[in-house]
Amino acid sequence: MASSYNAKEEDGHHSGASSGAGAAKNRKPDNTAFKQQRLPAWQPILTAGSVLPAFFVIGLIFIPIGIGLYVTSNNIREFEIDYTGESSNSPCYSCAKNVTWNSTEPCFCTVNFTLERPFESNVFMYYGLSNFYQNHRRYVKSRDDRQLNGDPSSLRNPSKECEPYRTSGDLPIAPCGAIANSLFNDSLVLYYIDSNNSQSEVPLVKKGIAWWTDKHVKFKNPGGNSNLTAAFQDLGHSTAKPVNWRKAVYELDPSDPENNGFINEDFIVWMRTAALPTFRKLYRIIQKKPGATPTLPSGNYVLHITYNYPVLSFDGRKRMILSTISWMGGKNPFLGIAYITVGSICFFLGVVLLIIHHKYDNRNTSADIPS
Amino acid sequence: MTWKSPVALVREALQGQRAREKDLRSLMSNLPYEGLEKGKQPNRYFPSNAIKTTKYSLLLFIPMNLYEQFHRLANIYFVGLAILNFIPVVNAFQPEVALIPICIILSLTALKDAWEDFRRYQSDKKLNNTPCFIYSRKEKQFVERRWKDVRVGDFVKVVCNETIPADLLLLYTSDPNGVCLIETANLDGETNLKQRTAVSGVCNSFEPESFNGIVVCEKPNNNLNHFKCYEKPDNQKVGAGIESLLLRGCTVRNTDHAVGFVVYAHETKSMLNNSGPRYKRSKLERRLNIDVFFCFILLFAMCLIGALHFIWLYALPGVPPYLVPPANGHLDSPNLSSFYMFFTMIILLQILIPISLYVSIELVKIGQIFLITNDIDLYDEETDSRIQCKALNITEDLGQIEYIFSDKTGTLTENKMVFRRCSIMGTEYPHKENIRLAVLNEPESEEEVIYNQDLQPLPTGWSLESEEANSEDTHRHGSRRKSKVLGTTQSDVAFSSPLETEVIPDRKLLQQISRTGSSSRCQKIDPYLEFFLALTICNTVVVSMATTQRRRPLTSDNLRYEAESPDEAALVYATKAYGFTLLARTPDSVTVRLPSGEVLVFEVLDTLTFDSNRKRMSVLVRHPITKEYVLYTKGADYAIMELLGTPYAQRHLDCYAKEGLRTLCIAKKVVSEAVYKHWLVERQRALTAIDNREVLIMDTAVQLETNLTLLATGIEDRLQENVPDTIMALRQAGIKVWVLTGDKPETAVNIGYACRLLEDEDLVLVIDGRTLTMALSPDLRGDFVDLAKHCRSVLCCRVTPLQKSRVVKVIREKLKVMTLAVDGANDVNMIQAADIGIGISGQEGMQAVMASDFAISRFKHLKKLLLVHGHWCYTRLANMIIYFFYKNVQAYVNLLFWYQFFCGFSGSTMIDYWLLIFFNLFFTSLPPIMFGIMDRDISAEMLLGVPELYKTGQGEGDYRFTTFWVSILDAFYQSLVCFFIPYFVYQDSDIDMFTFGTPLNTTALFTILLHLSIEIKSWTVVHWVVMLGSVLFYFIVTLAYSATCVTCNPPSNPYWVLQNQMADPMFYLICILSTVVALLPYTFHVLRNSIALSPLIEAKHLDRLDPSMREEWMKEWRSYRGGGQVQRSTLS
Repeated sequence: MASSYNAKEEDGHHSGASSGAGAAKNRKPDNTAFKQQRLPAWQPILTAGSVLPAFFVIGLIFIPIGIGLYVTSNNIREFEIDYTGESSNSPCYSCAKNVTWNSTEPCFCTVNFTLERPFESNVFMYYGLSNFYQNHRRYVKSRDDRQLNGDPSSLRNPSKECEPYRTSGDLPIAPCGAIANSLFNDSLVLYYIDSNNSQSEVPLVKKGIAWWTDKHVKFKNPGGNSNLTAAFQDLGHSTAKPVNWRKAVYELDPSDPENNGFINEDFIVWMRTAALPTFRKLYRIIQKKPGATPTLPSGNYVLHITYNYPVLSFDGRKRMILSTISWMGGKNPFLGIAYITVGSICFFLGVVLLIIHHKYDNRNTSADIPS
Repeated sequence: MTWKSPVALVREALQGQRAREKDLRSLMSNLPYEGLEKGKQPNRYFPSNAIKTTKYSLLLFIPMNLYEQFHRLANIYFVGLAILNFIPVVNAFQPEVALIPICIILSLTALKDAWEDFRRYQSDKKLNNTPCFIYSRKEKQFVERRWKDVRVGDFVKVVCNETIPADLLLLYTSDPNGVCLIETANLDGETNLKQRTAVSGVCNSFEPESFNGIVVCEKPNNNLNHFKCYEKPDNQKVGAGIESLLLRGCTVRNTDHAVGFVVYAHETKSMLNNSGPRYKRSKLERRLNIDVFFCFILLFAMCLIGALHFIWLYALPGVPPYLVPPANGHLDSPNLSSFYMFFTMIILLQILIPISLYVSIELVKIGQIFLITNDIDLYDEETDSRIQCKALNITEDLGQIEYIFSDKTGTLTENKMVFRRCSIMGTEYPHKENIRLAVLNEPESEEEVIYNQDLQPLPTGWSLESEEANSEDTHRHGSRRKSKVLGTTQSDVAFSSPLETEVIPDRKLLQQISRTGSSSRCQKIDPYLEFFLALTICNTVVVSMATTQRRRPLTSDNLRYEAESPDEAALVYATKAYGFTLLARTPDSVTVRLPSGEVLVFEVLDTLTFDSNRKRMSVLVRHPITKEYVLYTKGADYAIMELLGTPYAQRHLDCYAKEGLRTLCIAKKVVSEAVYKHWLVERQRALTAIDNREVLIMDTAVQLETNLTLLATGIEDRLQENVPDTIMALRQAGIKVWVLTGDKPETAVNIGYACRLLEDEDLVLVIDGRTLTMALSPDLRGDFVDLAKHCRSVLCCRVTPLQKSRVVKVIREKLKVMTLAVDGANDVNMIQAADIGIGISGQEGMQAVMASDFAISRFKHLKKLLLVHGHWCYTRLANMIIYFFYKNVQAYVNLLFWYQFFCGFSGSTMIDYWLLIFFNLFFTSLPPIMFGIMDRDISAEMLLGVPELYKTGQGEGDYRFTTFWVSILDAFYQSLVCFFIPYFVYQDSDIDMFTFGTPLNTTALFTILLHLSIEIKSWTVVHWVVMLGSVLFYFIVTLAYSATCVTCNPPSNPYWVLQNQMADPMFYLICILSTVVALLPYTFHVLRNSIALSPLIEAKHLDRLDPSMREEWMKEWRSYRGGGQVQRSTLS
């Protein structure tokens, strides 16, 4: 690749201009700062003296940030409960044993728990899965975004990336692919047991849990949100439900056309594949009640679970998580601690550099060099 | 167009093929056939003069270019990976995406090739359409045509200052003597004029139409200094050689017009000589390849770990819903999927093998060469020449040189001569006045002449061997010539110095001459007269008429001498000072005016030109008074000494040599008429011979030149400017300088002192050729090298070119050091034996320049070339390569690799493919290239002022085995930080893949760029623009991409990911923390810079002082260090 510079001179035939009688000294290089490599330049030298302010600054900024993060994280309430049911004394043991992908009968179980302290602000309810590799390469690819975007041709003829969950019999699957096929289909309902032992259902909001852009841009129902059944079951191009699903996509939330079909938010949340094998996904939101009452007062609760999702086949765990959130998201002390640690290290290094600077850097001044 | 049968066409083609392949070609004039169809043309088989240097044609560009490109291993590797990606079971990306990098690289290269080819096409077109004059029978005159119309067998007229369109056999010139002067600067950079003579026999009143001969010439070859042919006008052979050939590309000078017969069109010597740039592999690149091999091992290991997939699969109790079976619905067995996984990982981690590094290195070298060739300090005003980089990929070797082997003549010295001293008949004439003059004006060269008039009758035994070289051997002589004597238009300045032409005669010698001149007229006996006559006659100096084009000071008699070698001119000017004036020279006669005013015309019977084997030339003349046949010979002292009939005391010769003068000897002998006649026949035969002509000529010349009587002279040329300074600097830089010369030991030692190569307290080895032969014998070789290693300098005298190259080879192989050979003449062997060959152009011949890797015009340029450009190129490239390894391992490969541990070794990526590819291709590719071209660790002034800094690059230099591994470890550390800080933050959260990947990618970008920022030693505007531009570009492209790509790249979907992240303060907190932690180890650098100062750091500190203080410091430091042994890394 490196031949352009001599190409001209070495073509063997010079145009003759260079040797003409009146030829000036035309090969003289331009005396420009760039060509002569004399561009004005800033030439920093990394010595103890020049970098130690940076260390102090980093230390002084990081430590307060770290403390702030740590405190914020500690103020977040979080409660989680594992309802997998892999041990025999667990309430969902029988469900866990019996439920398979092919089960037609739902299995119910309930889990009791107690919140020691009230949750004051909005509470986010998550389901958590462990050891579920939603980031597996084949799995991640197994979807058709065009279909989910409401493209009618993709609805009839899904992308081949969806194989082997592309067609069922002769009918195209909607939504196709392994991700949709493995949709998390447990349903969780939370009851508060008040002092006189009566259960009251905690209101769970099922909308607003997906990204706004996903809900409004990425995911669209074919032919609009009205009359979904027709869109998916039109005689000309009827579709099949994914093999593991109990109900078709247009039956996900028949009560609310804005939350049905491809734009069902539980579905959208599931389709955003998790980065790591242990993950949680937002399930419901418990809105803060107006007034001073806590969103979730301390006390006893019972979680009613419709146990549909088998996880023992991959050593998985299922959890339900209740968490308040702050500007930094969920509870995570790591970042705060890390900031404090790094800030301290930098501060310490700054001190070391200061000592070194006093001891050594002075000799670099010009005065005493030719010793 | 008449119809021809296919058989006839094939026959025609075969005939053409045969005609072109024949060793001898018979060419006829085209004129009788003018206007006939092509099939009837006698020279139709030979290609026309239109040139086509383009490699491709418009239609076939793509297939041909692809074919070319797939000769590179790297491209095949890339294509192999892309193909692998088309196999569904192993693919990591979508198949089309994997094609992007290779397509981009291929198309970039193709674009560059196309552009170069287009430039060639344009220059071809321009050249092909240059006008010229071709004789037309119809119009009975020369008519204007284009170069491309010139055919073999045409008659072409070239006028003064016009470029010659094809190789022409010179038939006629406007000069009455049939002489035409040409300048070959376009071919070899030599600016002197070369004399060409019309083929004898046709030169008078030439009419193209009456030309009825056949020209028989050899098959085209690329030897610029060799040509043979003969012409048969009327069954009588007339031989011609290179002296009658006008080469394409040369320019006609001082001759009004000339007419030539086209012998080669298209297959001209200049075209055949045109071999493109040369490729050498630099030491750094050899090192680099080892490290690339380590990368392969690393890649293999990482892929094997990836293949641990099966362990994970076996550990699963059942079939999880996230394992997607292939289309057939059945999962592969864990072992098989592990096997597939291995290949998937290769695709995924392919960037570990830094293909882009090779492309970047080439780009960087183009940039470095651009800057070197544009250095104004390496430009020579006088010859209007820049440094030429002929080998494009060894710039960094310039920074690692440990041994320099230099020739003397034309390399250290100017190769400019002035007559200084002579010795005649054992009497020395020191020419003191001259020396004074020389000292006053900076000495030029001296020439010593020893004349021992001892006329002997010719020995009976010399056999007649035609001494051939009837014309000047332009090659050897040409190389000796100096531009000033010739005074081309470009070098008019030089000749204005009176020093070179003026010689103040020695008073004693002048008296001697006037005495003999007046006392008797017996010139034939008087040795002084004979001496000067010999000097005047025995040369190839041409007296030229005053032509307007050439502005040159004329000598007092309006005579101007055109010499091919500077010593000849010097001698002629010297004799002129003594009153012996060369008035005219034609091929047949020499006219000399004696001091008495008498004008003698010597008939020149033959000229036996100089060649490098004989190292002498002779002229055979007939004395106008005595009618004797006299042979005057001039040559190197040893070349003459061995031919002397009587031994001659070497006293003066040795004494001159001690003063550093080059000695020349002059001898003569008288030939009897019978012998001459016999010899003449032989010579005629030899001249027309095509086979073995040179050998015949050589043999005969050697025979004729036996038993001479001695006349000896010596010449020394002055050192080029700044040679001592340059050599001092090179030695301070830890480079050992050896001088290998063909001169006598005394001369060599003298020169050694003059250029400060030798100083009194030094241990110096001076060795002559014969001893060297023994020293280089296999059993002594080791000892010799050991001894030489301990010497500060080594001088090898009286060595042959072959020995020179052997010395270089032995040192290079035994000591495993980087060697550089400089030569100003023709020692191609030596130049090619060394790691870097440097030719010095302008003064001596072009052969060294043509074979060299770099061509400079002055020895002093070596200083800046090595100390500054060498250092810069080396540190730049070494640092860039290390950085590249780091970058590829850190950013791309390791982040993906760590992720595999969390995605079941499935080959997933947490970054969109396009962004991954863009990351390497666009976001982070420009800064390292700019770094490699433009970084400047220390200023040029500092590097020149403290040559010791050069030592940092010698030996292992910056780029060592450990450097590579340290950078790889650093990359591993940084990638761990970049991966695991976000990992711990986002653990067990609702983060999705691309959202997780975004801070990783961004942190990687910042870390990579900041890492580079720390490595960059000087920040110019360009640096700022490129660095900030890269960051901006990353964000703009990524934001635009994630804002628009809703379903554009299924199944990957980055829609609104970065926007979401950028609205989240956590993103910034993670990026800042990761970047700071990743760069924390740089504290070590800081500590090292503060506690254990390296010379480079110290130099950088000094660089920041203001210039006057720095100057002061250098002076003090220099005096403190003295001239003593300089240690590495001790600057203060």
